[in-house]
Amino acid sequence: MAQMLVKLNVNGIEREVLVDPDDRLLDVLRDEFGYKSVKEGCGTGDCGLCTVLMDGKPVLSCVIPAFQAKNHKITTLEGLNNDPLMKKIQEQFRAHQAAQCGFCTPAMEIIGWHLLSRKKGASKQEIKEAISGTLCRCTGYYDIIDAIYDAGRPE
Amino acid sequence: MEQPLLNRSEIVVLQPSSLKESLKLLNENPDAEIIANASDLWPRIRNGEVKPKKLLDISGLAGELSYVKKDENLIKIGALVTVSQLEGESILKEKRFSGFKDVIAKFGSPQIRNVATIGGNVCAASSSEDFIPLLLAFNAKVKLSSVDGERYVNLEKFIIGKRKINRRPNEILTEISFEDPGEGYSSAFEKIGRRNTLIINIVNMAVVGKVKDGKIEDVRIAANRIKGKIPERAKNTEEFLKGKALNEETIAGAKKVLSEEVSLTDDFRASAEYRKALLLAMLERLLFKLRGEQ
Repeated sequence: MAQMLVKLNVNGIEREVLVDPDDRLLDVLRDEFGYKSVKEGCGTGDCGLCTVLMDGKPVLSCVIPAFQAKNHKITTLEGLNNDPLMKKIQEQFRAHQAAQCGFCTPAMEIIGWHLLSRKKGASKQEIKEAISGTLCRCTGYYDIIDAIYDAGRPE
Repeated sequence: MEQPLLNRSEIVVLQPSSLKESLKLLNENPDAEIIANASDLWPRIRNGEVKPKKLLDISGLAGELSYVKKDENLIKIGALVTVSQLEGESILKEKRFSGFKDVIAKFGSPQIRNVATIGGNVCAASSSEDFIPLLLAFNAKVKLSSVDGERYVNLEKFIIGKRKINRRPNEILTEISFEDPGEGYSSAFEKIGRRNTLIINIVNMAVVGKVKDGKIEDVRIAANRIKGKIPERAKNTEEFLKGKALNEETIAGAKKVLSEEVSLTDDFRASAEYRKALLLAMLERLLFKLRGEQ
């Protein structure tokens, strides 16, 4: 079968894209839409670095076929750039130096945003559970947990 | 990262929007591989382990197959219920279903739980499928639908080997059901792996039972790798336990029966010896959980 025409809604923008049957949502987000915050780590659903929001829930864009993303709302970090909560999270990531190589940072920030937007003032245990499926090979996680924790506390 | 693959882009994708349409399409294309939300199958298609010519994408049937309900005394779970959805279901919050909470907490990762379906978990029938022991301990049945009608198969008879299921080519697993054991019963599940998240178990075990006045009135136990490489019931151990007082002596006896009943093997994840030690410790912990102790 040749390419398929799929209508996607990414960061509030609706666009029809031609995808191969074996394209992953990850490929389309990076190559068609140009959203490079979405990273490929393992490509097998084990590392969490390709996390995006689908209908508001964190999912792994490397295990979602692009053709299945139709009829869903996809949000990447780029779509949250002007969001006040995301700005706060990013300030705290800087304050805590929670990024070293930066490769996991978009996924960690999106997961932090998803958690804090549902539960302000999430506990460190809840943060640990939320990021439990997302690997960071530099920071040892504590700076990331502290950054999300502080972003959830009242000013 | 592109890997050398065989004509993967030639796959024909069928995307029906109703069960009726799906069954008709599958009947016409019995060689199609069925995908729900694809979290297990997609990486295996991408790396060439599975080479389907056609895919039947049933994710569009979520409206029809995403229910959890109690019908008479049967708990019915639609095949497309995701693990996250199951977590929020009020029916399963009763104490006797607490084994579900245990499985969900250890299932994949938060992101995987948002897409993985219970039907997919059962049909994948691999060692990472932690719902299977629990559903076996609940004596679950699967409903298989096709253009010819419906049939129900005991889960025990449905899973016939690692990644082998008793599904006819034109059938779709549409529902998993089991009898509500009723008040007084409880359930629990444990899994041990190299880490807590995103890990395939070294061993796992599920127990459903009823302990009244210190006596084991009923118990069903299922674990991965009792004999082969798939989850099975530990029926000799169950028989030994039934009717006995739940105390140290009974547990010591049950451990002996279980260690004779299992035939564990070494693999790259763990040695048979280590597996056995874990399994026996799990049996003890889970039996005490039935009594309401942690």
